[in-house]
Amino acid sequence: MIRVELSKLLRSRRTWTTVLLIDALPTLVGVLLAVTDLGPRPGEGPAFLSAVLTDGTLFPLAALAIVLPLFLPIAVSVTAGEAIAGEAAAGTLRYVLVRPVGRLRLLVAKLVAAMAFVVLTVLVVAATAYVVGVTLLGDQSVQVVGSTSVSGTSLSTPELVGRTFLALGYAMLCMLGVAAIALFLSTVASSSLGAALGTMSIFVGSSLLLTLDASEAIRDYLPTRYWLAFVDLFRDPILWRDLQAGVILQGTYVAVFFAAAWANFATKDVTE
Amino acid sequence: MTPLRRWSLVALVAALVILAPLLPRLLPASASDVTAAELLSRVQTSGERAYSGYVETDGAVQLAVGDDFSDLAELFGDRMRLRVWWQDEDAWRVNRLLLSGEEDLVHDGERTTSYDYERARAVTSRDPEIRLPRTSDLVPPSMGRITTDGAGAEEVSRLPARRIAGVSAPGLRLEPTSEQTTIDHVDLWVDEDTGLALRVEVYAGASSTPVLTTAFREFSAAAPEPAQVADTWSGQVERDFDDTVDLADAANQYAPFRVPRRVAGLERRTAGNGAVGVYGTGVTRLIAVPLREGDADDLRESLLGSPAAVATDAGTLLAVGPVSVFLTSEGFSYVLAGTVTDETLLRAAEDIVAGVRLRGRFE
Repeated sequence: MIRVELSKLLRSRRTWTTVLLIDALPTLVGVLLAVTDLGPRPGEGPAFLSAVLTDGTLFPLAALAIVLPLFLPIAVSVTAGEAIAGEAAAGTLRYVLVRPVGRLRLLVAKLVAAMAFVVLTVLVVAATAYVVGVTLLGDQSVQVVGSTSVSGTSLSTPELVGRTFLALGYAMLCMLGVAAIALFLSTVASSSLGAALGTMSIFVGSSLLLTLDASEAIRDYLPTRYWLAFVDLFRDPILWRDLQAGVILQGTYVAVFFAAAWANFATKDVTE
Repeated sequence: MTPLRRWSLVALVAALVILAPLLPRLLPASASDVTAAELLSRVQTSGERAYSGYVETDGAVQLAVGDDFSDLAELFGDRMRLRVWWQDEDAWRVNRLLLSGEEDLVHDGERTTSYDYERARAVTSRDPEIRLPRTSDLVPPSMGRITTDGAGAEEVSRLPARRIAGVSAPGLRLEPTSEQTTIDHVDLWVDEDTGLALRVEVYAGASSTPVLTTAFREFSAAAPEPAQVADTWSGQVERDFDDTVDLADAANQYAPFRVPRRVAGLERRTAGNGAVGVYGTGVTRLIAVPLREGDADDLRESLLGSPAAVATDAGTLLAVGPVSVFLTSEGFSYVLAGTVTDETLLRAAEDIVAGVRLRGRFE
């Protein structure tokens, strides 16, 4: 079943169109930076964007910081939100369930497919950004081996590569949390649009609440609270505090919302 | 499994994961019989103690003081995340963590280097006698020493212990007897063994909400590794040296004035003969800085942008919570700011205008 879902995902034209659209934004930013040589003012741009003018190898991280707060979660919400509600709306869910597979396995397969979409998108964005960063960005006149950590110390190339992959993995986990919420709403809503919009409203609401002092008591439980904590991987020494909390929080969202999806879907009447 | 049981299972999982992080906070703090006077003494003499940790600060003082003092406005009006490694007063590092980078201070003997990731630049300067507040002043042990500076045993009382960053910390309340301060009281929770303040809350007026809170979220009383307080910048970081740390230091060195020894009944804290004066002790403290005409005009405009600003013939006054700011308009332009009452600040401004003298070749 997982193979079927993955095959559907990879053969879908919409998957690749979405990936390319998400990839286009950081690529455009990279080209504009290269042409104008104008970085953001300190404190105003996404993480790492000011540094890529001198070190192009950091552009995959800047690209991640560009797509992670909004574009990637929107795409994940749409993809995972369609998982059950989309099949139901198209009238295919009944036929899927006729096959001798459990509903739990179907949910697992849908979540794996949503995660595969996240992995694919993040890797394409990172690879494109690396090529753009190395070829167009960076100060070619400065010949320095390695990079500079956010704390100003040297980072060797293996350290930078290792931490970059950890950051990509962390971003993927954050999106798995979004996918779990969307999957649950997909079992509740009658249309995929409703599930996607419901998921988006949750993370937009979360981002808004994070800016309010009055929400102090619930800050640490908000789903977007630690999304950008991957920057802490590039401090010296690495600040694990928010990363650990982020992993636990996203794991919790995945566990609770996947369990809720299962609780709701296991005996749901499927008539369409 | 029935739907009821399935949903009960989901509710149980949700309850467990929500409550699990709260459990450590429910651990009671152990009581301590240390006296308030003893605890105060330990806080005041904790300067040479080593420690490291992660600190969060939360300021509620919205200072409308323009671009020249924007760092101060952030310091006392924003939330900040800091990492600190403190070997002693001569070797420490305080990193301000930002979403888009870091702004770090590394102190080595008489020099302090200020590093900004987004500018890829590290600027070293000698540590001056007089400077504006900076992030290293906001870490709880420093804040504890600053607020209790000069305080007497009659001004403190004990508060129940609280668990701060996993440490059971006895509490101390400082209620200043001076009628010149705007600070009502300061609550501190202190590591009993070292005297290091772990949490400091500053209250102004009758408000039950602190105007400034700084607290460790992670704390270790072990001495940090020497490498963690060392000056180890990558080759891609541009290095520079600056003669002055900030606007107050620059004015103190180069403005051709000499401030009086005493204003509004408060003694000058520094022995130097400079143009900038810091007066008072503890939470009854003010600073007087001369400004160039253009800087004074910018600041006046910023102050008048606030509805709470009051303009008189003598100058412009703005009181924001516990901090009062006054910009003179008679004689030389001096800005005075501090945690003192408006009356004290106005008296101090009169004394500055009357007592400031030219120095050096301008005398």
